Amino acid sequence: MPERITLPIADIAEESPDVRTLSFTHPLAAEPGQFVMISDLKGDEKPFSLSDCGGGSFSITLRRVGPFTRRLFDARRGDLFSIRGAYGSSFFVHSGRVLLVGGGCAVPPLFFLCRRLLAAGAEPTVVNGARSADALLFERRFQALPLHQLTALEDAPEPLTAVDAALRLLQNNRFDALYAAGPEMMLASLISNCGALDYQLLIERYMKCGIGICGSCTLDPLGIRACVEGPVLPRATVEQLTEFGVYRRNSSGARVPVNARRSCEQ
Amino acid sequence: MVTKIPSGECMDATLRTRFLELDLATPLVLPAGVLGTSFSSLLACARCGAGLVTTKSATLTERTGHPGPVVVETPAGLLNAVGISNPGIAEVLREVAVYRRHTAVPVAVSVFADSPADFAELARRVSDSPADLLELNLSCPNVSGEFGAPLAGSPDTVAAIVAAVKHAARLPLIAKLSPNVTDIAAVGRAAEQAGADALCAINTLGPGMVIDTELGLPVLSNGSGGLSGAAIRPVAVRAVHQLAQSVGIPIIGVGGVCNAVDAAEMLIAGARLVGVGTALWSGGIELFGDIGRNLLAYLNRRCYPDPAAVPRLEPSHA
Ligand SMILES: Cc1cc2nc3c(=O)[nH]c(=O)nc-3n(C[C@H](O)[C@H](O)[C@H](O)COP(=O)(O)OP(=O)(O)OC[C@H]3O[C@@H](n4cnc5c(N)ncnc54)[C@H](O)[C@@H]3O)c2cc1C
Ligand SMILES: Cc1cc2nc3c(=O)[nH]c(=O)nc-3n(C[C@H](O)[C@H](O)[C@H](O)COP(=O)(O)O)c2cc1C
Ligand code: FES
Repeated sequence: MPERITLPIADIAEESPDVRTLSFTHPLAAEPGQFVMISDLKGDEKPFSLSDCGGGSFSITLRRVGPFTRRLFDARRGDLFSIRGAYGSSFFVHSGRVLLVGGGCAVPPLFFLCRRLLAAGAEPTVVNGARSADALLFERRFQALPLHQLTALEDAPEPLTAVDAALRLLQNNRFDALYAAGPEMMLASLISNCGALDYQLLIERYMKCGIGICGSCTLDPLGIRACVEGPVLPRATVEQLTEFGVYRRNSSGARVPVNARRSCEQ
Repeated sequence: MVTKIPSGECMDATLRTRFLELDLATPLVLPAGVLGTSFSSLLACARCGAGLVTTKSATLTERTGHPGPVVVETPAGLLNAVGISNPGIAEVLREVAVYRRHTAVPVAVSVFADSPADFAELARRVSDSPADLLELNLSCPNVSGEFGAPLAGSPDTVAAIVAAVKHAARLPLIAKLSPNVTDIAAVGRAAEQAGADALCAINTLGPGMVIDTELGLPVLSNGSGGLSGAAIRPVAVRAVHQLAQSVGIPIIGVGGVCNAVDAAEMLIAGARLVGVGTALWSGGIELFGDIGRNLLAYLNRRCYPDPAAVPRLEPSHA
């Protein structure tokens, strides 16, 4: 059973004006796509995907979007955080030619996935999507790995969305599988255009317990939990979800339209 | 452990159970607040073998609940202080209506308020919905900062609320009781006399507290929270046994039930139905099916035709 552990921040990396990576020294047992619940025990606890894990340490990469991420963003080396996990499902690691499509601060968990894909002998191509060059995440980290990276910037002189970049690649190449993480509308648009390709998505829902007991993150109409059966869901499951790309539930459990509810995705 | 199988093994037991005019496929219940936030989550539990599902407790207006952490795992069970987050009764009843379109498995709507008048208003709203039963959460230990001590602490308060609701509700009424009292039987009797049609016992135990020794702070944002899971089962079993001797109305036994043996223990203690909550954390909702199958095997092995036929513990054991 995953344990709760209190750890000091071992290292902080500046990724963009509003994104930082916090590293912790601890041999966490985790797979790519899984998340941890992090708290300073000062009145909040939130889920974050692992952006890397291995060799006795792990990291999360967060965007400053509200009160809690602001506190994490401003934290210093040595500050203590209560962390539990790793929780949830993980990406199935294929060994063939695979396409990874990420947008915004959902790109970093794909970096952890790439490490595992490469270890399994896969040939990854990464579409790294961002609003602007400023907001682009992990470009250099991906460059350091033996894979093909394509950046897609929405406000470049020649604007390109991650979805358009991915669809172009899919037209001209054969891939065995697709992995995607990012804003839900981006994911919805991607999967409605990807033909018969097998895919897995990293999805976000409002999480409170993270362990499948409180019901905050359940997905209609299956009643599965994004924190246990997700956050990584295979195509066969996503295709049955009537709420995906349409609505989600907020902290009280009320339904809100997906596009009005953005988390790390703005 | 019973190791010897009696020779007169029977084959025709059923899990079907009558409860307040309802015919339930199994005596297993999803208790309030565990999953149960959406129609789909209630539906998944019903499809897995719960005979009755209960919604998360609803209030008149939307509540976001306590900030995190709202749960902490301990070696002896789960401590939670979710703080009755819910989208408000109107939204909850919309989910119940969708649920009803998909299944006939009965559903109880759990409600929470801080006054008899608000409880009565909630009861009216639920009575106008497709819900089958109304459950009064008189026992949440996690909102005392806002609402004062749990309502089920005093027989008089319980009687006042149940009476007010009885007047307003057209649905059978379940009073959910707290174990955190000196005399749960007195509270149960007060609820029965005021018109409750059934009791549900127990809500979480405590409250308790877990302190982080590095940060020197309580782990739960609420400071304290209610304990649930296997650790509280002996307390729940005794509470049900005491209530069963003190009231004539049926009891839903809840607290730490993890398998069919635990469920049988609840039936012997005097429960008509058995709730399975925190155990779903590690067992998943498939647990309803597993417990149902093994409970049926138990009934057959003991030649009890149905769950209601399981002999109750004699009164002398409290
Ligand atoms: C599985 C999962 C993985 C995530 N991984 C990352 C990550 O790697 N990096 C990152 O920056 N962010 C990630 N998030 C989002 C992150 O949890 C939110 O940004 C954070 O909770 C915001 O808290 P806040 O107090 O700063 O902002 P708030 O103002 O409280 O919220 C801003 C937005 O964040 C979302 N949010 C708030 N609380 C939660 C919650 N408990 N569960 C889910 N969403 C919430 C809501 O959409 C909200 O509108 C992830 C979310 C999930 C569910
Ligand atoms: C996370 C969580 C939330 C709960 N929320 C409610 C609630 O809203 N209303 C209620 O009456 N009981 C609530 N309970 C109590 C349960 O319904 C049940 O009475 C208690 O947990 C004991 O059963 P168990 O050990 O099988 O979980 C909650 C329990 C848990 C673990
Ligand atoms: S966050 Fe509680 S069930 Fe998923």
